Amino acid sequence: MDTPKKIKVLYIDDEQNNLNGFKATFRFDYTVLIASNISQAYAHLEAHPDISVILCDQRMPDKTGVQFFEEMRDTYDEPVRMLITGYTDIESVIDAVNRGHIFRYIKKPWTDSDIRSAIEEASKFYLTNSMLVQKNKELQSAYDELGKFAYSVTHDVRGPLLSILGALDLAKNMENPAELRDILEMMEDAIHKLDEYIKNTHEYYKLKRGLLQFEVIDFNNLVKDIAALFRIAGRMDNIRFISNVVQNDEFLSDEISIKMVLNNLLSNAFNYQRKDATDKYVDVSITVADNVATITVKDNGIGIHESHINNIFTMFYRATSEETGSGLGLYNVKDALTKLSGTIEVASVVNEGTTFKVIIPGKAHGTN
Amino acid sequence: MVQTKKLNFIVVDDSKLDCFIAEKIIRNTGISESIKSFLQATEALEYIKSIAPGEHQRTIMLVDIQMPVMNGFEFVEAFEKLPKDVTDNYTIYIISSSINENDLVRVHTYATVKQFLNKPLTSNNLAVLLA
Repeated sequence: MDTPKKIKVLYIDDEQNNLNGFKATFRFDYTVLIASNISQAYAHLEAHPDISVILCDQRMPDKTGVQFFEEMRDTYDEPVRMLITGYTDIESVIDAVNRGHIFRYIKKPWTDSDIRSAIEEASKFYLTNSMLVQKNKELQSAYDELGKFAYSVTHDVRGPLLSILGALDLAKNMENPAELRDILEMMEDAIHKLDEYIKNTHEYYKLKRGLLQFEVIDFNNLVKDIAALFRIAGRMDNIRFISNVVQNDEFLSDEISIKMVLNNLLSNAFNYQRKDATDKYVDVSITVADNVATITVKDNGIGIHESHINNIFTMFYRATSEETGSGLGLYNVKDALTKLSGTIEVASVVNEGTTFKVIIPGKAHGTN
Repeated sequence: MVQTKKLNFIVVDDSKLDCFIAEKIIRNTGISESIKSFLQATEALEYIKSIAPGEHQRTIMLVDIQMPVMNGFEFVEAFEKLPKDVTDNYTIYIISSSINENDLVRVHTYATVKQFLNKPLTSNNLAVLLA
């Protein structure tokens, strides 16, 4: 288990003796940074974005502590600010507290326990605040994605439904059985498209909310299982499937995520083939070495134009009108890999094919 | 009713089924001279550009909004950059499943777009707009 991180404290005072005394007293309990002037203080703030508490003496030659706090909070608003001052400055302190520039003041001469309790309080305040900032960020990104979802629902859900409605209306007056069969097949495609969207949405949700569950991954079995599903669904018809798995060591990872990644990459490889090509193939190779899994999925399909390649992992981005893409598949892949600290690279040439290379570090054994 | 002159149609929609439906409905009206469908807006644009000046026929275009690569709005914007003696031959109807207010408002900002139509296209609403 990690030991809890020490609170990082910055203390600013123009008297070197005070700085030394402070550091000597508190260096075991906190990570103490000291500065004898404002520019040193800024240098520390720049170099240590994780400073959570700042203590500053009010009386300094170039600026008062209150002035310093007032100006630094525009750039560094996260650290909690505390002023050290004697009674004579009390008016300016009250004013500063009221205007929200400082969290607390410590009166001179201070005792160790004054400082200690002030730092502990300030640190709690800092942690609560940063948690709030973090939660707000998460909330904002959830809102943004919700907005995208709401918009895509009209197209990706309503679109196929209206197509089917339109087709039904047409089919009612159709007498030619061959024509009728054509339109039924197209309606079937539209329903598959809708179903795929719903499945992808479910995967998206599972990934976002689900916790990773680490277990032993057997890539040989995984590829066999997924390939069997593609074969049954007729997705491999006229496409040569080559798989090569080299795994001698145990590999710990989240099976749901890995399955989803493989499934999406293979599904794309089977889907985006050139219709008129004679030797279509999909080649998956997986090697596990030094607790790192390297997955390569290669096809000789339609390829991705270079103007789209930077956007393929963007939510709801679609680079082609071919086939039934939902614009969620590769977004989900990227999201899952980020959670697993993995990476994905793509190389593609239009009309020659696409290669995805995924690297996933395995969970270290014996850790939790 | 005396049919004066037959019309040409272009359908731009990334859904094969929607193109098929539109083609059928248009053909059933009996007033179509030609119908061309494009799954990609870029291809429709290339087609229009490939027609020699002076050879453009009166054409009705049905254009979807949400399409990959080039969407309906981008298509209309690119189309409006063509010479006026080309664009004058075309009447654009935006046809979409979108119920997004921004989309509906945006449709009216284009001079070459005559109207917004809700999907699905039916023989009834096609008859209304051709009347």
